[in-house]
Amino acid sequence: MAINLGRRHFLGLAGAGAGAAALAACGGPTTGGGTGASGAADIDFSGVKPASSIDFWTNHPGKSQDVEKAIIEKFQAKFPDIKVNLITAGANYEEIAQKFQTSQAAKSALPGLVVLSDVWWFRYYTNGNIIPLDNLIKQLDIKVDDFQKSLVADYKYADKQWALPYGRSTPLFYYNKDHFKAAGLPDRAPKTWQEFAEWAPKLKASSGAQYAYIYPALAGYAGWTLQNNLWGWGGSWSNEWTINCDSPESVEALQWAQDSIYKDKWAGVSSKEAADDFAAGITSATIASTGSLLGVLSSAKFNVGVGFLPGGPKKETGVCPTGGAGLGIPSGVSKEVQLAAATFLKFMTEPENTAAFSAATGYMPTRTSADMTAVLAKTPQIKTAIDQLAVTHVQDNARVFLPGADQEMAKAAAKILTQQGDVKATMTELKTTLEGIYTKDVKPKLKS
Amino acid sequence: MTRQLTDSPVATAGTVTRDQRRGRWSARTRRDFIVFLALALPNLALIAVFTYLPLINNIYYSTLDWTLGSASATVVGFDNYINFFTSADAPKVLGTTAFFTVITVGGSMVLGLLVALALNSKVRGTTFARSAVFAPYVLSGVGVGLVWLFIFDPGYGVLSWLLRGIGQQSPQWINDPQLSLVMVITVYIWKNLGYCAVVYLAGLQSLPQDVMEAASLDGANGFRRFISMSVPLLSPTTFFLLITTMLSSLQAFDLIRIMTPLGNGTSTLIYEAYMQAFGAFNRAGYSASISVVLFAILLVITVLQVRFVERKVHYS
Repeated sequence: MAINLGRRHFLGLAGAGAGAAALAACGGPTTGGGTGASGAADIDFSGVKPASSIDFWTNHPGKSQDVEKAIIEKFQAKFPDIKVNLITAGANYEEIAQKFQTSQAAKSALPGLVVLSDVWWFRYYTNGNIIPLDNLIKQLDIKVDDFQKSLVADYKYADKQWALPYGRSTPLFYYNKDHFKAAGLPDRAPKTWQEFAEWAPKLKASSGAQYAYIYPALAGYAGWTLQNNLWGWGGSWSNEWTINCDSPESVEALQWAQDSIYKDKWAGVSSKEAADDFAAGITSATIASTGSLLGVLSSAKFNVGVGFLPGGPKKETGVCPTGGAGLGIPSGVSKEVQLAAATFLKFMTEPENTAAFSAATGYMPTRTSADMTAVLAKTPQIKTAIDQLAVTHVQDNARVFLPGADQEMAKAAAKILTQQGDVKATMTELKTTLEGIYTKDVKPKLKS
Repeated sequence: MTRQLTDSPVATAGTVTRDQRRGRWSARTRRDFIVFLALALPNLALIAVFTYLPLINNIYYSTLDWTLGSASATVVGFDNYINFFTSADAPKVLGTTAFFTVITVGGSMVLGLLVALALNSKVRGTTFARSAVFAPYVLSGVGVGLVWLFIFDPGYGVLSWLLRGIGQQSPQWINDPQLSLVMVITVYIWKNLGYCAVVYLAGLQSLPQDVMEAASLDGANGFRRFISMSVPLLSPTTFFLLITTMLSSLQAFDLIRIMTPLGNGTSTLIYEAYMQAFGAFNRAGYSASISVVLFAILLVITVLQVRFVERKVHYS
């Protein structure tokens, strides 16, 4: 047989090999069973001895690597028999989620404890990837009552606790005090967006900044911060599992936002990170996470003010969503590892450790008994974030429970805020998309 | 196993039995064959395990309704393919893929050829210029993407600063889906034209000078020589570049991921496959079906190019 492995064959082989997908390197699922929901049974940990070593997967929210290391060192001193390996499992919540889910698919190398964000933990629940913590809470006497109630409630579903709060944040209203003073405005955040709309022309005229206000970057959780606008106007992304982002109230809220950019011309949209734009002086005000607070304070060359999120024409308070990350324990590891991880979880969220974490990052203390005196003396702005907790609102199901909804909301927001797309049509299209996700990816997995 | 073996005088004479031929083959080539196996088998095994086995697995996954992270899945046959081709996203994704590929391949090759012509001239500094042109190709796509993001940033990017200098507002390169695609294509061409330029430069330098001089003596001017002589004689190089750059463009990922993480307006087939499985939706089976579609497109394009385009190639 004559073989001429020439250019043709080489190129042919190159083409054939090119399409192989990385997905296939993962271990596959079993077929034949249902894809139904988890609802893992309560695990009995009595008589279980904690494992001698666990991996802690984190993305170091709020540049928290050093404080995480310090807390682990304290833990090792108290529990020398449990070694905690601090693993950088991603640069953000999405990357850590990718690593966690591919490890689930590969059925190997799972951590004992993992950071899970507000939009990811529910998927882990529906896939049966995490265990309920109730028995561990009882056995280790974790003082759940001492946690901020709204933050603990975020991880409750089907009468079980699936995670505990860790690097938790809310959006904050950041403003340039110098710009406000130059414009003759009061040194405070506006009570409503209507009030800010009256201030904006003065700000723009006197500050020299490009914008009076900049909307957070669309790729950076637009669905999260826009809930503030939607709720203020009496709208929402969804009401429980009913998608109502095309309601007249929601459309009116986003129409107002579009007008602030195209009609009134005092607002813009951040391209990468609104907190950085604000600190660079491009805008007089913005909304960003409390986790950005210390970074803004250290990099801004002006006096920074913070305040509660403004309300809208229908609702002036209770318009701030919670957010950030919690800690969960995978179901695919041994009971010994789960118990060791829970021991570490308990330690990580002790009042003094949550205070240290808050001081280092700007995230909120998750325990009500955390002594924040020293922290507040150093960074008094954190108090605003803590006080705002009392008026936070649980996020819409559509944003936190529907896989990929955040990205779809961001795309819709991009159409409205950067392409001047028709608001009603865009929201109607988004509603169809979100309903499709619910019907296909979530509903079949929910327990009836 | 060479052409010489089958065309050997002994074989054609028809006087040697099969056993004799086998014995003769073993005697002549056994050692070479063992060396061949020793060198090729490890590589073939690696290719089989890390390329073709995943490819086959991926085809299997494309027939499942499987949520990434879930331990179980349901066999759904061709449903994932039907869902993709009937979805509202399919025309957008396929259109974006085609546009991105055509413009980046065309842009890289045309600009690469022009740069190669410039670099082929005998003036001072061409060695430095060649290095400078080729350097972006070997840089990390992630690093390139991050730096260009700063350049394009409408708030404090260099481009924005230049535009403000002439009284213009910066376009929303990052947020506007259409401009995002323009931005990513621009950076992709900038990064990859060095590769085309270097390959074309090698082609230009291997052109037969006697033929070019003869054309010159016949009165053909520079442009005429380029169109009628250089371009046809460069056709093997063009053909090689066409295939390699097209395969590369269809699989472009890093720049898109870094510069437009949302994939809004820039979602090509490979990026859509990533977003569906890992980026947002965790639809592993559906994502696998998109990967198979991409594979089929790559295969068809390669076969068509080899079958039809190469016929028009003039080898020197």
